[in-house]
Amino acid sequence: MDTSAQNQPIVVERLFRASPERIWQALTDLDQMKKWYFKLDAFKPEPGFEFQFRSGTSDGTQFLHLCKITKVVPCKMLAYTWQYQGVPGLSEVSFELFAEGTGTRVVISHSGTDSFVSAGPDFALASFTKGWTYILNISLATYLSES
Amino acid sequence: MMRRDVFQAIADPTRRAIINLVALKRQNLNAVAEQFDISRPAISRHIKILQECGLLVIKQQGRERYCEARLQNLREVALFTEQFRAFWTDKLDALETYLDQDEHS
Repeated sequence: MDTSAQNQPIVVERLFRASPERIWQALTDLDQMKKWYFKLDAFKPEPGFEFQFRSGTSDGTQFLHLCKITKVVPCKMLAYTWQYQGVPGLSEVSFELFAEGTGTRVVISHSGTDSFVSAGPDFALASFTKGWTYILNISLATYLSES
Repeated sequence: MMRRDVFQAIADPTRRAIINLVALKRQNLNAVAEQFDISRPAISRHIKILQECGLLVIKQQGRERYCEARLQNLREVALFTEQFRAFWTDKLDALETYLDQDEHS
């Protein structure tokens, strides 16, 4: 029975005016990750390395993200599992880098997000979206205006 | 109290299969049940849950009972997935901003 419609990964991509080496740094260097991604306590681009970070909403709801690195090909590919503490489901995120002209195409694939659907709309449509909006619009904007 | 929503409906592979089966064309209830190796009562339970979740209706026509899909409610699930797309798109924006900033500093 075909249920593939629910199992397709989400894919987003963009061409950057930067070398694969430069992008790789931004994806894997702890200090650089803090500036655009998430604030982690530790990060090492090594298979099996586990890391976690909290992100949440302005009203204090927090989701602890749990990740474990599954694949590392320097300057080419980074993949890790992506889960939420206390929420059933398991997904995986990969970042692929392709040299293109003088730039680099970054392709992000997130598979298994449908495994979170059993967590229901409370998880999905309320707190979670608010969390992202907060992180992206408020935290990042604050960081950029201060730096 | 058990929650009945579209997320619960599609959390189960048999229920997803039932939706796929009736999505394009309504099906006789018996014909649906015959497609699966599990018991009639088990199929009935799945169909009942799908009805309660608003993804399926049963229509009586003469002596036959038909399953019809009501897929509008699946939009909620599509929206759920779209959130992740929006999230990663925003992250690409943030990366771009960071790289530009870094280049000029």
